[in-house]
Amino acid sequence: MNEVRFDTREEVDFAIIGSGSAGGILAKELSTAGHSVVVLEQGPYRKASDFTHDELAVVHRWELHGGDNSVHGQTFRHNESETARRPPVSPVRYARTVGGSSVHYTANFWRFRPIDFKERSALGPVAGTNFADWPITYEELEPYYTKVDWEIGVSGAPGPFDAPRSRPFPMPPMPIKSSGVLLERGAKKLGLHAQPEPHAILSQAHNGRAGCMSCGYCMWYGCEFGAKSSTLAAMIPLAEASGNCEIRPLSVVIRIDTDGKGRASQVVYLDASGQEQAQKAKAVILSANGAESARLLLMSANAQHPDGLANSSGFVGRNLMHNTHALVHGVFEHPLNDYKGVQVSRVIHDFYDADEKRGFYGGGGIDARPLFSATPILHAMNGRDPGVPGWGKEFKDTMAHDFTRQMAIVASATSLALDRNNITLDPESKDLWGRPAIRETYLDHDDDLANAAFFEDRCAELADAAGASKKWRFGIHPTTGGEHLLGTCRMGEDPATSVVDPGHRSHDVSNLFICDGSSFVTSGRGQPTMTIMALAFRAADRIRDAVKRGEI
Amino acid sequence: MNPDDLSRRRFLQSAGSLAGASYLKLMSPAVLAITQAACSAREEGTPFKVLGAQEAVDLAAIAARIIPTTDTPGATEAGVIYFFDNAFESELREQLDAVREWLPQFNRALGETHPGVARLGELGETEQDAFLRTQESTEFFDLIRVMTMFGFFSMPKYGGNKDHVGWDLVGFEGHHGGWEYPFGFYDAAVHGEADQSE
Repeated sequence: MNEVRFDTREEVDFAIIGSGSAGGILAKELSTAGHSVVVLEQGPYRKASDFTHDELAVVHRWELHGGDNSVHGQTFRHNESETARRPPVSPVRYARTVGGSSVHYTANFWRFRPIDFKERSALGPVAGTNFADWPITYEELEPYYTKVDWEIGVSGAPGPFDAPRSRPFPMPPMPIKSSGVLLERGAKKLGLHAQPEPHAILSQAHNGRAGCMSCGYCMWYGCEFGAKSSTLAAMIPLAEASGNCEIRPLSVVIRIDTDGKGRASQVVYLDASGQEQAQKAKAVILSANGAESARLLLMSANAQHPDGLANSSGFVGRNLMHNTHALVHGVFEHPLNDYKGVQVSRVIHDFYDADEKRGFYGGGGIDARPLFSATPILHAMNGRDPGVPGWGKEFKDTMAHDFTRQMAIVASATSLALDRNNITLDPESKDLWGRPAIRETYLDHDDDLANAAFFEDRCAELADAAGASKKWRFGIHPTTGGEHLLGTCRMGEDPATSVVDPGHRSHDVSNLFICDGSSFVTSGRGQPTMTIMALAFRAADRIRDAVKRGEI
Repeated sequence: MNPDDLSRRRFLQSAGSLAGASYLKLMSPAVLAITQAACSAREEGTPFKVLGAQEAVDLAAIAARIIPTTDTPGATEAGVIYFFDNAFESELREQLDAVREWLPQFNRALGETHPGVARLGELGETEQDAFLRTQESTEFFDLIRVMTMFGFFSMPKYGGNKDHVGWDLVGFEGHHGGWEYPFGFYDAAVHGEADQSE
């Protein structure tokens, strides 16, 4: 490794805030192109060998999240008239570690389709929402999806409704699991189509990385083989090897400063010992995720930017979209042992497109996976048959029978962009570092809840058609937080209704770029990270174009 | 509220309390020392770190009904009480004071419904279960129930799940490390026909 360290007073070409799905890619693209890059990551620098299968530590102590909400102090409310409360579990959840949430994601990797980028034009307006077309098309993003496939490492096989692709998948799909076989069985009976799930997980060795060992610890865990295609595994080693990129972990950013000309001049952060530092840079790239990026812009308010940096539109923090979900558990006659292998092996996309005959906006996809039957504590606390007591002999017998025989049929679906759903700074609560805590305000649009209920019915039909001996529904509840953090600095041509331009440059601050889930205009159908990564590769090209034009 | 939602809320609350304010502790080698100490305590029968002998008997008796010993091991064989001792000595230290208030109340209620009975373990199993059902809605019982799940199913290094008896019960081989398909009954037939990756 060509380890490089930059002095904070030295003006580097780019300071990138966040090392996750977008930040890790931008760091690799810009540093290998010869630019000096400092990546500020608030979490520690864990490597593959640091990851464990310890359910208590990882899932229940929130190890990769950096602790539970007593550390982060986040608050939640459904609408502005309520005082936001501080729940025990953080409303917005993401990994704080080098590689960000790409380290602990489940790695389901759907591309968007052409319709996702122009759905507002195709369907017309949805009253009271900020439903809009993207300023870019699928065709424009397609080469970058392909770049993700090959450089990040995506396994899969084409399905009947897939968007066109310019190159085949670089490797075959992950092996089908019993949950996938059962989903296929149900789909056939109902006239639907189950196709192999694409994953950001290597089904075989690729780019010098080893293939997946099917250990089963994908969801919320880091991959000790490096087979999961995080930016930690796929991008950051290349960035560091360039000799132009320093990853600076345990760097908690508190604001971006601007100079007299209104340009971003330095990023102020607390180092590992809590000392305030400031990294000077020619340009700043904010890739901290849809909640953190919005918080940081709001925290960076100054005399020139009284409502927060890059926020002349007032759109910073607004239009938060989590994707809705529906979930039906099914128990089957024979063991599935679905805790082995990746979560998902088959997915149904027959309901991807919105259909006005349903009477509401929305679409989504349906898969089958162990979900809460991936590990025993999760199953005992959250996945088990709710019709059985939570302790005693019947509990024990049921768990001994169901754990290996249970799967969840899960729908991931659309959310509409609304002013009322947003990230703001909590006026009272602080995080461990004294930063104003993230306050989330969120109440799903009626169409989103109707769509989730529609999908729950489809999941229940599939459980029956697959032959479940018993099943139960999780129920549709208004969203109270999530992992998908989309839309809060939306991309658009019009500075009055968007935060960044189609090249991810902020409308207000010419050397500030924002690229992560916050750039989304619509939510997609519920697996956003593939698109975050494609946007990041594209943003790197646009930023290099700006450099060539002498604009930075 | 449906039962599933209730169990979800309990899960979330319990997860929160188990994690309470432990961020810095997680970074510390003390965690490793604690877990190693728990293992050796269990193996050598050394005294509990914080639980008194009678407290341990009472809590172990409750845990033994939450996951009873049948033809397969239960909370007793898993050594869940060592997980309790370990947790009350470390991240659940704050809950120990509450437990020390709740336990006498629990025993008092027991004596009121069963005159002359001082300890849960003095009753037959059916009577124990009947009494515990009257305690189900108490914070005390719920804490012990949740802790029993964590003790029974977490890694043995935390003190319980001795010899992986919790994992064996449900057919979970989480310590295996990696797998080759077929994984289960339904995909075995498919993989038998053709290699999926072709």
